[in-house]
Amino acid sequence: MLLRLCFANQTDTDIDKKKQVSVSLHLSLQTQSAPLSTTVTCCTMLKSTFTPMYWFLAPKPKPQKLSSNLIKNTFSNSTPNVRQNSSLKQNPIINPTSAYIHLPFCRKRCHYCDFTIVALGSASTQTHDDPRVINYVQWLCREINATKMEEKPAPLQTVFFGGGTPSLVPPSMVSNVLETLKMKFGLSESAEISMEMDPGTFDYKKMQEMMLLGVNRVSLGVQAFQEKLLKSCGRAHGLEEVHEAIDIVKKCGVENWSIDLIASLPHQTSEMWEESLRLTIEAQPTHVSVYDLQIEQGTKFGKLYVPGEFPLPSETQSADFYKMASKILCDANYNHYEISSYCKNGYECKHNYTYWKNNPFYAFGLGSTSLIGGLRFSRPKKMNEYTKFVQNLENGLINSSSDNNINSKDTATDVVMLSLRTARGLDLKRFQESFGSSLVLSLLELYKPYVESGHVVFLDEQRRTIRIDDTDNSLLYETNSERRVAYMRLSDPNGFLLSNELISLAFGVIDSWKDYPSALQEAT
Amino acid sequence: MFYKNIINGDDSRDGKESPNYLLNLIDTPGHVDFSYEVSRSLAACQGVLLVVDAAQGVQAQTVANFYLAFESNLSIIPVINKIDQPTADPDRVKAQLKSMFDLDASDVLLTSAKTGKGLEHVLPAVIERIPPPPGKSDSSLRMLLLDSYFDEYRGVICHVAVVDGALRKGDKISSAATGKSYEALDIGIMHPELTPTGILFTGQVGYVISGMRSTKEARIGDTIYHTRSTVDVVPLPGFKPAKHMVFSGLFPADGSDFEALNHAIEKLTCNDASVSVAKETSTALGLGFRCGFLGLLHMDVFHQRLEQEYGAHIISTVPTVPYIYEYSDGSKLEVQNPAALPSNPKQRVVACWEPTVIATIVMPSEYVGSVITLLSERRGEQLEYSFIDSQRVFMKYRLPLREVVIDFYNELKSITSGYASFDYEDSDYQQSDLVKLDILLNGQPVDAMSTIVHNSKSYRVGRELVDKLKKVIDRQMFEISIQAAIGSKVIARETITAMRKNVLAKCYGGDVSRKRKLLEKQKEGKKRMKRVGSVDVPQEAFHELLKVS
Ligand SMILES: Nc1nc2c(ncn2[C@@H]2O[C@H](COP(=O)(O)OP(=O)(O)OP(=O)(O)O)[C@@H](O)[C@H]2O)c(=O)[nH]1
Ligand SMILES: [Mg+2]
Repeated sequence: MLLRLCFANQTDTDIDKKKQVSVSLHLSLQTQSAPLSTTVTCCTMLKSTFTPMYWFLAPKPKPQKLSSNLIKNTFSNSTPNVRQNSSLKQNPIINPTSAYIHLPFCRKRCHYCDFTIVALGSASTQTHDDPRVINYVQWLCREINATKMEEKPAPLQTVFFGGGTPSLVPPSMVSNVLETLKMKFGLSESAEISMEMDPGTFDYKKMQEMMLLGVNRVSLGVQAFQEKLLKSCGRAHGLEEVHEAIDIVKKCGVENWSIDLIASLPHQTSEMWEESLRLTIEAQPTHVSVYDLQIEQGTKFGKLYVPGEFPLPSETQSADFYKMASKILCDANYNHYEISSYCKNGYECKHNYTYWKNNPFYAFGLGSTSLIGGLRFSRPKKMNEYTKFVQNLENGLINSSSDNNINSKDTATDVVMLSLRTARGLDLKRFQESFGSSLVLSLLELYKPYVESGHVVFLDEQRRTIRIDDTDNSLLYETNSERRVAYMRLSDPNGFLLSNELISLAFGVIDSWKDYPSALQEAT
Repeated sequence: MFYKNIINGDDSRDGKESPNYLLNLIDTPGHVDFSYEVSRSLAACQGVLLVVDAAQGVQAQTVANFYLAFESNLSIIPVINKIDQPTADPDRVKAQLKSMFDLDASDVLLTSAKTGKGLEHVLPAVIERIPPPPGKSDSSLRMLLLDSYFDEYRGVICHVAVVDGALRKGDKISSAATGKSYEALDIGIMHPELTPTGILFTGQVGYVISGMRSTKEARIGDTIYHTRSTVDVVPLPGFKPAKHMVFSGLFPADGSDFEALNHAIEKLTCNDASVSVAKETSTALGLGFRCGFLGLLHMDVFHQRLEQEYGAHIISTVPTVPYIYEYSDGSKLEVQNPAALPSNPKQRVVACWEPTVIATIVMPSEYVGSVITLLSERRGEQLEYSFIDSQRVFMKYRLPLREVVIDFYNELKSITSGYASFDYEDSDYQQSDLVKLDILLNGQPVDAMSTIVHNSKSYRVGRELVDKLKKVIDRQMFEISIQAAIGSKVIARETITAMRKNVLAKCYGGDVSRKRKLLEKQKEGKKRMKRVGSVDVPQEAFHELLKVS
């Protein structure tokens, strides 16, 4: 856990501090498990006034730690025996093989958006000479280069350019970033390189250049197929650009591409939503993302609208939109593989799967969050703080990864939350290996009534549905593998629709999970 | 207090110094819940100052307190206060006092505590008109135990009135009620702080510290005497014990806090022995306590002290009065907890009785119509109706206690814009057509929500309860039915439709922490709920039900 504090006027040029800091950092991490320890280590900055300072705070008293190794194994498809692989010291950090790159530039802010973006102005379609973009990409590359790693970096398997509007950035600069990544970590031949692209920000030539650089997956921000809706949510493009963009992507022969849609927009009717889904299917993307509009505080929509009230759809309508998407897309042979993601067979977004499997990933750029060694680390959201952060990283004053001590409760919570969002669901065998059978049994117990109500599905090893009416309490120890629960998932669409409810129920179970000793024993 | 009675401003008339008087003043609470304290204070007094507001005139409390004093044969000094107020009308109030109580206008003192006007006549009147205490100083010691409280450092401190004889520091004393003996470790008077005197004489009111551990040993109304004189002491009449008018369940708001609540209640009752406490178990709310109170204000004060002084978070069930049920086999059951009453009893119920009160209400005559309507809605029976003067009406009613306990006074005040005053004293039980009203969530009765109501009101109350619950219970994953039922007959029903959608569409690398926080919050929300069967009931639901009459 990391807490960022700003200290005014902190000047300290004592080089020895550096060493001292890294030493005490080490100490603080070792004492993390001491009860009530709030061991604080501060890293002072060089040659700067008004420097942000980074405090590494030991998390609240945590009863037990697991190695990140172990966490990783919860999902890795090759299953090395956990017990053989549990030495905590020798093999501390597993290097991520995924990288998220944040390119924050947009022409203007959409009315629903509360992301970390930099609005360049509606006229900015050409950005190759915009100093804001040039400078930013330089800082970005410096950040990549300054990242500390274990000896042998594993080549990246996925890279994701997200934003903002990455397609606003000139290919030459994208090239710089990719080259930097390649030099630093290596880039697998078969890596999935995705880019979020908005209609109206690229032409045929730009698309082709991006492809030449290695971009092989496009996530097209269409959002809606109605001129009126595009306008009312403040998109910088119209319907014509949407069709153009789809044509370009198809003409360029991008094999793997996604259309991103938003459901439950203000004034959206079910006819409009059906039309958007139909036109999406006609465009034949390999992937479709369907996001529900979230009304965020501080956005224009947040000021104008109240969820569930006109002109926003009611909760019932909004649920119907969700069900409609699920029905229509599944009928068109898309797999609903995650709450908001659909794809043709084999076209899951590998990069996003990294997140949902709780696997580690790098992140570079303004406001981005990485997961390395079990630590979620968020970069500053303000440009001047971000550039200082990069300087400090270069000077070795901060480290965006952590040790391998992760609180098992936190990890269990993340694993449950993320995996239940997917159609694959929670792999109980792996989960049990990491966290013990008592927790698994409590989860089974918790969800049983929801299996009956059709919100949760229990599956066996072969992923066949297990009927609850003929099971007893020994769901987990059942010797007959046909009746042993191997996975639990939320049903589509009813379970997915109430996923917050269902997942927070599981949080409650994990919260009151007291069986640490046995979990620890099994884990080590 | 000591008071030097200076007559005509001359301290040394006839060369003699004015005599010094020791006066003991007891302030009495104005609220009806504590009228019990008024009557026990009167037992230690020879006279009273009956203070009436010059603008408002005679109030229900004035009537109630006048009769308490009158029946105790105390000298009554009427005082009309607040004569400084622009709306003051002392002559009118004098006329009221004459017509209501036959108090002579010439005996009435006029004062303003604000300007000080007339105050100089108050204490001389006390000395002239109120006789000294009548006790026999040469008899053996008899003391009336008036009050007691617990002091963190000194233990139990008893307030006593020495009726006969005298008490010296170090004397061995005994209680007539418990037979226990103590040593008078410290004695003295309230001046107004505890002031040791080493001796208390006949007629004095003072304090005694005697090493009692708990106020439970100090029974209010007890007679205390010298241990050595056991044989010849006749105990004083004492008081009837404080009557618990209202009972309610108290449960920790967070189930795990039971021990903390237990501790808090123990400490608090150490100081306020007028609360009765018994353990109670509810399927909906878990382990808790059934507590008896003198009235609703008393209950509120107790709740507040629990929360403020002991940081206890509590859920209170709907207050109930003690009913008596009689069954066909002749057995009788006093019901302090509706949940304890079988909804479908094996024995036939032959009769039910409910406690009643005699209420006194004084109000400006223009409100009579609406007040009478309220009183008949509350099943009241008129006993008396008269005019205090041309503008004010005085009424006496018999009312079921239950109807008074829940929100009556607030409603009375609101329909009379605060101009009505109200007081009551407890009275007999009356036979009544009572039914037990159950609340069911998804078919499962919630014990902590059941109430006993008059049959004629059961439909209205059932409907109101169901509507209130529908408002406070959030939609959940399943449809929820809320029913009010008498026995197996459902009299009101509502459904809360199932939640349709609660999902966050996006969850990528950067959102994980944020999304997780959101779900953690949702989880915490669930924790604060009470689970009844499959339904999560927010704690506010219980608070809301308190307000249904
Ligand atoms: N104008 C005016 N106000 C007064 C006078 N005497 C008391 N008050 C006000 O009347 C209010 C009530 O006074 P209290 O002394 O609390 O009355 P009480 O009878 O002891 O009330 P309870 O103990 O609640 O029954 C306070 O706001 C006093 O300031 C007076 O002579 N003139
Ligand atoms: Mg007072």
